[in-house]
Amino acid sequence: MLGRLAPGVCTQVTMVFNHQQSRNMATLKAISIRLKSVKNIQKITQSMKMVSAAKYTRAERDLKAARPYGEGAVQFYERAEVAAPEDEPKQLYIAMTSDRGLCGAVHTGVSKVIRARLAEPGAENIKVICVGDKSRAILQRLYSKHIISVCNEIGRLPPTFLDAARIANAIMTSGYDFGSGKIVYNKFKSVVSYSQSDLPLFSRAAVESSPKLAVYDSLDSDVLQSYMEFSLASMLFYALKEGACSEQSSRMTAMDNASKNAGEMIDKLTLTFNRTRQAVITRELIEIISGAAALE
Amino acid sequence: MSAWRQAGLNYINYSNIAAKILRRSLKAEVRTEALRRDESHVRITPWANGKPAHLQAKAAK
Repeated sequence: MLGRLAPGVCTQVTMVFNHQQSRNMATLKAISIRLKSVKNIQKITQSMKMVSAAKYTRAERDLKAARPYGEGAVQFYERAEVAAPEDEPKQLYIAMTSDRGLCGAVHTGVSKVIRARLAEPGAENIKVICVGDKSRAILQRLYSKHIISVCNEIGRLPPTFLDAARIANAIMTSGYDFGSGKIVYNKFKSVVSYSQSDLPLFSRAAVESSPKLAVYDSLDSDVLQSYMEFSLASMLFYALKEGACSEQSSRMTAMDNASKNAGEMIDKLTLTFNRTRQAVITRELIEIISGAAALE
Repeated sequence: MSAWRQAGLNYINYSNIAAKILRRSLKAEVRTEALRRDESHVRITPWANGKPAHLQAKAAK
């Protein structure tokens, strides 16, 4: 009976043994594969950080040059004390984002501002123009009825005035007559901080009926119309530049954090890898020694 | 009313055309730099009723 049982037991033991060994070898292999992939990810995030650092310096330089465009236009509205017309409830919101992700909460911040506004009463009079695919992706699900235009291919290259001019043109020819509106964008503060801000938009009727327009000399409606068109383009240009600059700076920090986290993960994985390797070696030694001891 | 507005242009079109001509007539050493600002890659899609307008036109057919 023992003789008949023995071969079966023996195969079972070797099976268990093989199974255990192969599993341990597999984890070792799995850890090394994982380690390699995390190392690759770290390389990618590091180089992305480098790229966005270079793009950021350029964006900041460009932003300095673009600032007067936006500030000048806003000053005009402030000095003339233009107010949103009460008899025209239609509003236009422009979400200034870009196509590219992996840059922290830049796009969600802008979309959140618009979403909060659309959740308030009176939202049926609001239309949205999404500049950049990211805001479109966020707003599309719940508020797609409010979107009247989407601009993409933004963020690959630094924005130019021609980009802003084409968006402005699209707004003017969209046939949507808004009384007032806002350009929601990320205002760049420093390398590590930005905040959501907005620029005002008004219809020509609103500007013409503003109380202090008389502080400006020799304005006829033709000049005013030209100026309004130009100021729309220049405000869009300024918002695009601010957005691009905050996006790059935010991407820099995001990628820096990602590299740091990958580094931590690599440390942990290396430790587990070495430990497992040690365990495998130790077990093999024990097997050899106990095998030798059994032979004596 | 100015002539360009009568021709159906708005100020943005008008000034862009002027800027384009100015950039092209610059001296060669500064022209390449200026021409780089003469590009635009933005694609604008009008939307209606929660969908891109061109998709809707296709669906209607």
